[in-house]
Amino acid sequence: MKNLTHDTAPDAAKRREDETQSSVEPRGDEARSVPVLVAILGGVGLLALSLVFVIGGVELGVGTPRRLGTGAFPVLSGLTLAIICVGIILGDLRNGHLDEVPDWISFFAIGAALAIFAFVAERFGLVPAVFLATITASLPDRTLPWIGKAALGAGVSLASWGLFIGVLDLPFRAYMGF
Amino acid sequence: MEILSNFGDGLLVAMQPQNLLYCFVGVFLGTFIGVLPGIGSMAAISMILPLTFYLEPTTALVMIAGVYYGAEYGGSIASILMNIPGTPSSSITCIDGYPMAREGRAGIALFASAIASFGGGMIGMVVMAVLAPALAALALNFGPTEYFAVILLGLVAASAVSNGSPLKGVAMVVAGLMLGTVGVDLTTGTERFTLGIPELRDGVSLVIVAMGLFGVGELIVSIKANRHGAQQTKLDYKKFYPSWAEWRAMVKPILRGGGIGSIVGALPGTGQTVASAIAYAVEKRLSPNKSNFGKGAIEGVAVPESANNSATQTAFVPTLTLGVPGSASMALVIGALMIHGITPGPRLLVEHADLFWGLVASFLLGNIMLLILNIPMIGLWVRLLQIPYRFMYPTIIVLICIGVYSVNNNVFDIWLTLLFGWAGYLMRLYRFEPAPLLLGFVLGPMMEEQLRRAMLLSRGDPTVFLTRPISAALIAVTVLLLIYAFASALSARKRARAAMTVPS
Repeated sequence: MKNLTHDTAPDAAKRREDETQSSVEPRGDEARSVPVLVAILGGVGLLALSLVFVIGGVELGVGTPRRLGTGAFPVLSGLTLAIICVGIILGDLRNGHLDEVPDWISFFAIGAALAIFAFVAERFGLVPAVFLATITASLPDRTLPWIGKAALGAGVSLASWGLFIGVLDLPFRAYMGF
Repeated sequence: MEILSNFGDGLLVAMQPQNLLYCFVGVFLGTFIGVLPGIGSMAAISMILPLTFYLEPTTALVMIAGVYYGAEYGGSIASILMNIPGTPSSSITCIDGYPMAREGRAGIALFASAIASFGGGMIGMVVMAVLAPALAALALNFGPTEYFAVILLGLVAASAVSNGSPLKGVAMVVAGLMLGTVGVDLTTGTERFTLGIPELRDGVSLVIVAMGLFGVGELIVSIKANRHGAQQTKLDYKKFYPSWAEWRAMVKPILRGGGIGSIVGALPGTGQTVASAIAYAVEKRLSPNKSNFGKGAIEGVAVPESANNSATQTAFVPTLTLGVPGSASMALVIGALMIHGITPGPRLLVEHADLFWGLVASFLLGNIMLLILNIPMIGLWVRLLQIPYRFMYPTIIVLICIGVYSVNNNVFDIWLTLLFGWAGYLMRLYRFEPAPLLLGFVLGPMMEEQLRRAMLLSRGDPTVFLTRPISAALIAVTVLLLIYAFASALSARKRARAAMTVPS
C-alpha cells in the first residue's frame, strides 16, 4: 500500500502557531505517515454522513423554492458537504497524514470510563459509578499504582457524594441495590 | 450620558449578591481551568453549562462570561511558567513570557500579564458599551435576507479564516448545520434523523455536543501531551513588582493592545488568538525596544494579554446584538441564553436591558476580582500547576459525566457524549477543527428559519440575497473571505513545499 509522507520538521514558531490553531497542547510526537486508506478515512466518513442526510432529506421532501420542505435544508447542506468532501479526499490522497500518533489506550479508557459511568449510575447509584469511572479513566497512566488508582477513585467518589448530593442537593441516588 | 446611566443601572444589577457570587465563582473556575494546560475556555464553559440551567439568565451569563475571561487570564500563567499555553490565545505570551521566567523574572511577567489583562478588559468593556447599542440600532433594519447573510458571513469567517485548512473548516461548519437539523422540524412538526429514538426528538443537546467534542475530546489529547511532563520555572517572589521603567514600558502596549483587541474581537471569526497575534506584530513594529522582542521584553507580555482580554469582552458585541457568535465559545453563550428563553439579537438591548448592562458592568467587577485572584494568589495557581495531571484528568472526566447526567437524569446523554467525545478526538487526529462544527450546530436552526422566511417573502426567488444591498454586501464580503482563505492556504502550502525541497 502506498505510504504518504509529511513535513516533520516545523520550527518553534510554526509549531506554536499550529498549536494555537488546533487549540490543543503540544504533543511531543511528530505527525505520522499513514497508509493512503487511513489518510482519507476522515473525508470518506464525512462523505458517507453527507449522503445519509441527502437521501434522508429527499425522503422527507424538499418542497418548492417558495415553501421549502422539511428535507430542503438537510439536502442543501448534505450536497454542499459532499462536494467539499470530494475536495478533502483528493487533498488527503496527495498529502494525507495523521496529526499525531493515535493514543488508542487513552481513547478507549476514557470511552470505557463514560460507558461504565452510564451503566453503573443507573443500576447501582452515583458513588459506585464515580469510583469505577475514575479508576477506568486513570488506566492510561502507568505511573500510578493500582492502590493509588483505588485511593483516587475513593476520594473522588466521596467528594462527588458530598458536593453533588450533600451540598448541591442534585436528584442523584448515592447507592442502589446494596 | 445615556451610556453612563445604563452602565450605572447595570452596576446595580451586577452588584446583587447572587450575581457577585457567581461572577466570582466564574472567574475563579475560569482561572483554575485556564491554568491547566490542555483544557481551554471551551471545555470550561461546556462543563459549567448544566449548572447555569438552575440560575437566573443574568446570573448565568455573568458566570459564563467570568469563566470565559477567567480562562484567558489563567492561560497566561502556564504560558509564562511552563512555555505551554493554557489557552490558544496565550500562546503569543509564551514568546516573551517564558524567556522572562527563565531570566528569573517570572513574577514580573505574571504581574505584567495580570495588569495588562485588566487594562485590556477595561478597554474592551468601554468599546462594548459604546459599540453594542449602535450595532443593535443598525440591526433593527435587518430582515430574514440580511440575517441569513450575516449568519453565513459569521460561519465562513469562523471556519475559513481562523483555522488550518479552510476546506476542512467549512466542512465542519456544514456538518454542524446538518447536525442541527436532527429532531422535530418546528415548522412542520416532522421528525428528522431521530432514528426513532425518543431522546432525539428535541434534537441533540448543546451540552452533549460541547462536552463531548471539547471536554472529552480535548481530554483524550491532553493525557498524552501531559504524560511527558513539563519543565517548571522557579518563581522568584522577591522580584514581583515591575520597576518604574518597566511600568512606563507597559503603558502604551496595553493601550494599543486593548484598542486592537477590542476591534478585532468584535469581528466574527477572528477571536482572541488573532487579536493577540496582530497586536504583537504591530507592537513589535512600533516599539523602540523591538530588538528585545522574543528575548523577554515586558511589552511582549503586556500587548498580547491586553489584546486577548479586550477581544474576549468585545466578542459579546455581535453575539448579543446580532445573535451571531464569532466563535464557538460565543455559540455556547447563545445556546445558554436560548435555554433560558432569551433570543439574542437587536431587541435584546431593549427587552433585556438589565441583562446586557448587568453583563457589561460585571466585566468591571470580574476584572477587579481577577486582579485580586491573580496578584496575591499567584502562588496558589503555581502550586496547582505542580499537581500531577494523572490525578486531574480522571476527576475532570467524572465531572463531565455528572454534568451531563444532571441535565436530564438520563444515561442516554452520557452514551451520546461518549460518541461525540470519540468523534472529537478522531476529528483532531484528522485535522478537522471541532469549533466550527459547534458554530454550525448552534446557528443551523436559525439559518434554516431565516432561509425559509426569505424564500417565502421573495416568492421563491433566490436572487433576493443579491438584490438587497446589505445582504449583497455581506455575501460579497463572504465570497472575498473565502477567496482570501483559500489563496492563503495555497500559498502557505507552496511555501512549505519550497522549504522542504531546499534542504533536500
